[in-house]
Amino acid sequence: ATCVSGGLPQPTNITFISINMQNILRWNPPAELQGAEVTYTVQYFIYGQKKWLSKPECRNINRTYCDLSVETSDYEHQYYAKVKAMWETNCSRWAETTRFYPFLETQIGPPEVALTTGEKSISITLTAPEKWKRNPEDSTVFMQQIYPNLKYNVSVYNTKSKRMWSQSITNHTLVLSWLEPSTLYCVQVEAFIPGPPRLIQPSHKQCVSTLEDQASALKVR
Amino acid sequence: SLKRCLISVDMRFIEKSFQGIKRELQAKDTFQNVTVLSILESPKNIKPADVCCVTKHLLTFYRDRVFQDHQESSPQIVRKISSIANSFLYMQKTLHQCQEQRWCHCSQEATNATRTVHDNYDQLDVHSAALKSLGELDIFLAWIDKNHQETSA
Repeated sequence: ATCVSGGLPQPTNITFISINMQNILRWNPPAELQGAEVTYTVQYFIYGQKKWLSKPECRNINRTYCDLSVETSDYEHQYYAKVKAMWETNCSRWAETTRFYPFLETQIGPPEVALTTGEKSISITLTAPEKWKRNPEDSTVFMQQIYPNLKYNVSVYNTKSKRMWSQSITNHTLVLSWLEPSTLYCVQVEAFIPGPPRLIQPSHKQCVSTLEDQASALKVR
Repeated sequence: SLKRCLISVDMRFIEKSFQGIKRELQAKDTFQNVTVLSILESPKNIKPADVCCVTKHLLTFYRDRVFQDHQESSPQIVRKISSIANSFLYMQKTLHQCQEQRWCHCSQEATNATRTVHDNYDQLDVHSAALKSLGELDIFLAWIDKNHQETSA
């Protein structure tokens, strides 16, 4: 639909939010038009190619996000995206992202963390974060397959002594030994990749208590 | 032989230097329809045996063309780029040692691949091409990180 370009202020803060290669374009409505019946149209560009491309599902939408994971799934390439706002017969100029490089910019989601306790030990088992899948039945790709140097930062907090320490590991199991029995420990794990800085998502904090010391338990009887 | 050439250089330092100027460089690059380092965007096309040669040629490309052709008014950007350029010189010395061990063989395919880089570069005027190539350092640094660092597979 034709409209008067520049008649509206541009959408703001247009950026890719990328987690495990799920790449969602987000933006804020133009400043003065909060609440108005504004619609948006999105286009994207593969760096090095010839022209901007449209995504039909993100034409004349009133939400302020658009999932471009499929369109930006080749993570070795780089991309731009742009959005314009429309309201009645007016529309804004395009607001464009900076160059987006999924391989270097995607956030690595947290691993799944399973804890099992012993008297003076806690065993931590991690499941690597999975890459976004186009279809649920697609085969699973773990982020470690894309980033062989992916590591985990395990943080442990002794709630009794208020002492915190952390450890960096590359494999998926860690046994914390020499712990205090009958003590609540909290564990949090984040995956990271040595390289340019990227946002990190820690796992939810999980707390478990070590078992009672069997020796003292027998003495009491 | 297929021995990998490891480059013992502080990649984090180089990446940090580039990170500080990346947005500015890329924002000034208005030719979105040209990728100088297009060959690195499909690394599967480059055989493991050709990796070292491609890296060597690209370091030479940056030393002899990009850093020479680039004109920059911002002292901050100049400082960061010269720091990166010095790191590249050091990397070249390391690869030279690899070459002497015959781990850096150059096949015709590797030579053709880097020919593509020069052809892409020549599509633009030299200043625009140099600016674009600097804006694409993230692609090249990711390639070095992936292929020439201890931790990479």
